[in-house]
Amino acid sequence: MSPWGYLLLTGWAALMAILTKGPWLVGLVLVELALGLAWNRKGLEPLCQIRFWALVLGIVALGPFLLGEPDTTVGPYHLSKEGLVTGAEMASRASALALAFSLGIGSLSLFDVVAVFDRIGLRGLGFATALAMNLLGTLRDMATVTLQTIYLRGGMRRPGKALRLFSISTVANTLRYGDEAVNAASVRAFDPNHGRPSPLPLRWADLGLAALMAGYTGAILLLGAG
Amino acid sequence: MTSYTVRDWVTIGLFGALWGAIELTLGSVLHTIFPPLTDTFLTGTAMSGIGVAIVLTGKHFVPKRGSAFFMGIVTAILKLLGIGGVKIGPIVAIILQSTLMETTLWMLPASRWTFVIAGALAVGWTLPHMLIMPQILLGKSAIEAYNRVIQQGSQWLGIDPSAAFSILGGLLSIQLLIGAAGGWGAWGLGGAVADRLGRRTAGTSEDSL
Repeated sequence: MSPWGYLLLTGWAALMAILTKGPWLVGLVLVELALGLAWNRKGLEPLCQIRFWALVLGIVALGPFLLGEPDTTVGPYHLSKEGLVTGAEMASRASALALAFSLGIGSLSLFDVVAVFDRIGLRGLGFATALAMNLLGTLRDMATVTLQTIYLRGGMRRPGKALRLFSISTVANTLRYGDEAVNAASVRAFDPNHGRPSPLPLRWADLGLAALMAGYTGAILLLGAG
Repeated sequence: MTSYTVRDWVTIGLFGALWGAIELTLGSVLHTIFPPLTDTFLTGTAMSGIGVAIVLTGKHFVPKRGSAFFMGIVTAILKLLGIGGVKIGPIVAIILQSTLMETTLWMLPASRWTFVIAGALAVGWTLPHMLIMPQILLGKSAIEAYNRVIQQGSQWLGIDPSAAFSILGGLLSIQLLIGAAGGWGAWGLGGAVADRLGRRTAGTSEDSL
């Protein structure tokens, strides 16, 4: 799929997750799982995280205790069937949204993001994003060095002044690093306002995905269960 | 966007990266210590306060319309592409807070008090965010989210849960104060850094924002 397909998938699935309920919500999760297995297994990574399952199962498990009026007794516990159903629906919605983002936008590479911004006329924003992504490690190193310097010079005895020194030094060093980035871009004749954007064509898989989405949305509208 | 130079975009990237680095390090630690279902007030308020201070400091160096919003977009993308997976709530919060800051800076003349108001509004968004997002993401009713906020606020402030308005008012006041402090500090920090680097603080010019 092209980046457009991934963006479309996120937008559609997030909207469906918010608007649908009941079996259609479960159906949406199943459609996302099928898409993930067919096109993008990396996007199913949230399903391998303990944190994800703790959230989903936690919502389902707590639903009968916290939601709705208790109408069933299991051992010493008074539970609510309505709470169980509501909890399951909330868990499905959370899963659908998590998959919408991990299968869609979350699967885009930095190159894809830059290409999309370039294509929609925001070349500068793509450049800024790429710069920021590459700068994260450097920033962390600069901040660590600044903090250690303040610590070794006894700055921590006055925390207020230490925080001020740390903030000024970090921002000033970051801006100095920015000067180097500006020089490098100038040497390469980079112009954020001119130049032809690189092509980012749709692929057959995007059209197949769009057809699948249209079919699912149409089924919901026809059967009136949205 | 044609008025943006290479230096403007670089600066937007730098301050977006600063906010992103804080979100990916401190934010991840706080979200682990205080999981979203147990406590969002402390994490949300702390991260928003720091983020607001960074973006408003950045606004000093790119005093053009839209720059605060773009810094938020860069941070949101870093959060999206960063390790630890996609967390929808914080990403939506980052974008909305940067939009709030940008709108305030657009509507009011550039001054320290405008920064204070922008910061307060952006961090103040955290409370409605706590009420609205669970409804959108999980389908919880607004009343459940409201009850949860009241229970958390009651524990935090040591006020009886029956005094709901006092709790909401107390929480909102804390957030507005933190945001205002962030805006106030950003104005001073931007000026101090500009002095150190020998740059004109464009953010202080009345007609520049």
